[in-house]
Amino acid sequence: MKKLILSIIFSLSTLWAFSQVTFSPVTFTAEDEVTITLDVTGTPLAGIDDIYIWTFSNDGVGGGKDGLVNGQWGNSSDAAKFTKIATNKFTFKFTGTTLFGQSPAELINFGFLAKTKDGSKQTPDYKPYKFDPLVFVPTQFRVFPAKLDQTDMATVYFHQDLATEQSLQRLFDVKVTIVFYDAAGNEFARRVDMIAKKETDKLYAYSFIPDRLVTIPSGTVLSKFSYQFTGNLKDANGGNTATSGPVVEVAYLTFN
Amino acid sequence: MKALKYLLIALCTVAFFGCKPEKFGPITSNVAVVKQLQGTWGLTKVVQVDQDAKTKGFPYKELDITNVYAYKDLVIALQLDALGNPSTFTITNGNAPKIVDLTSGNWSVDQNLAPTTIALKNGTVTNALSLGSYTGLSSGKLYLVRNKSINGKVILSYQYEFTKK
Repeated sequence: MKKLILSIIFSLSTLWAFSQVTFSPVTFTAEDEVTITLDVTGTPLAGIDDIYIWTFSNDGVGGGKDGLVNGQWGNSSDAAKFTKIATNKFTFKFTGTTLFGQSPAELINFGFLAKTKDGSKQTPDYKPYKFDPLVFVPTQFRVFPAKLDQTDMATVYFHQDLATEQSLQRLFDVKVTIVFYDAAGNEFARRVDMIAKKETDKLYAYSFIPDRLVTIPSGTVLSKFSYQFTGNLKDANGGNTATSGPVVEVAYLTFN
Repeated sequence: MKALKYLLIALCTVAFFGCKPEKFGPITSNVAVVKQLQGTWGLTKVVQVDQDAKTKGFPYKELDITNVYAYKDLVIALQLDALGNPSTFTITNGNAPKIVDLTSGNWSVDQNLAPTTIALKNGTVTNALSLGSYTGLSSGKLYLVRNKSINGKVILSYQYEFTKK
C-alpha cells in the first residue's frame, strides 16, 4: 500500500514537473531556434532571481552529451543563465545543434534541469523532449500540413501500403473519427465515421477545417485534435468486422 | 607627319568624349499595377504550401484544396479613388472559408510602382497579403499569398489565384 501511495505521489509530481515547461515553437528540429519557458513555482528554485540551465542530449538512447554552455556543476557559465520574465518564470533560447555541438542526425532528444549557479539547489530533470527529424520518414498516418493552427485546413492520410498490421492492410469502407481538445486538454467535440476519400488504391484522406466540422464559439482555443481511421475487415465467413487503427494526436501551434 | 599627329589627337578626343553612359529605357513599359488591381476578382484556386517541408526538402510540399470547400464562392472587389489610389474593398465569402478576417474596409499597397504587399484595413484590424507575379494581371489573373509564421519564419502559406470577373 505504501509503495502504491509513493508511486501515485511520484507520478503526480512528474506530471507537475512537465506542466511547468513550455516550448516555442511547440515542435522543433535540432536546427530550429527554440525558447523554453520554465515556471519554477513549487520547486527548490522558487523565489530565486538567478537560475541556470543544465542540459543533456539523447537521454536513454545513447550518444548523449552535456550542453556546451553548462559550465561546471559548482559554477554554471553565464551563457547558461535563464532570463527572468516574471516571478518564478524564466526563458532560455537555444538551437539544438549549437547547444550540444552535435549534428541533426545525432540529436534524438534532450533534457534539462534548472539550478543555482553553485548547484546547491535544483529542479527535477525535465526530459525527454524529442527533436523533429530533418529526414522525412514515411509512416502509415500523416497530416498535411505538418504544422498548423486551429484555423487551418488539415488533411489526414492513411497510407495503407505502409500499414504494419495485417488488419489495417486489409481495411475497407475506410472512415475517420476526429476529436478536438480544448486548451485544458479536455475533449471539446468529435465527429465520427466520416467517409475518407480514396485518393489511390492504397491511400485514403480526409480534409477539414475545424469550424466547418464543429461549432467553435468565439475565443475558444483548441490545443490539439486526434484522428483515427476505422473500417471493416472480412471475417472467415465473409461477414464484415469493424476494425480501428490507432489514435493519432496532432498539436495546434500558435502562429505570430 | 604633323597632320598624322593632329589626326591622332582628334581621334583620341572624339573617342574620349564619345564614351559616355548611355541611358537605357525600361526593359518593359511601366506597368500600372495598382490600376490593374482594381476590379472584382473571383477566387479560382487555393493551394496550401507547407513551407517547413519545402525548407527541409520533404515530400508532400503542396496541396490543392480548392474543391474541399466552396472556395470559388469568394469574391474580392478592390476600388480606386478618383486619383487612382487604392480606396475601399469588399470581400464576399459566400460559403467559402474565410481567407482573411475582414470583409470590408480600405486597402493599400506598400509601394505604388512595384507593390509587394496589399494591406486590408478596417479600424485597428489589418490583414496583409503578399502579391504574387504581376504577369497574370494583364490577362485577368491575380495571385495573392497569405503567409503564417512563427518568430518571423514562414511555416505555412496559402496561394490564392483570382480571376477577374
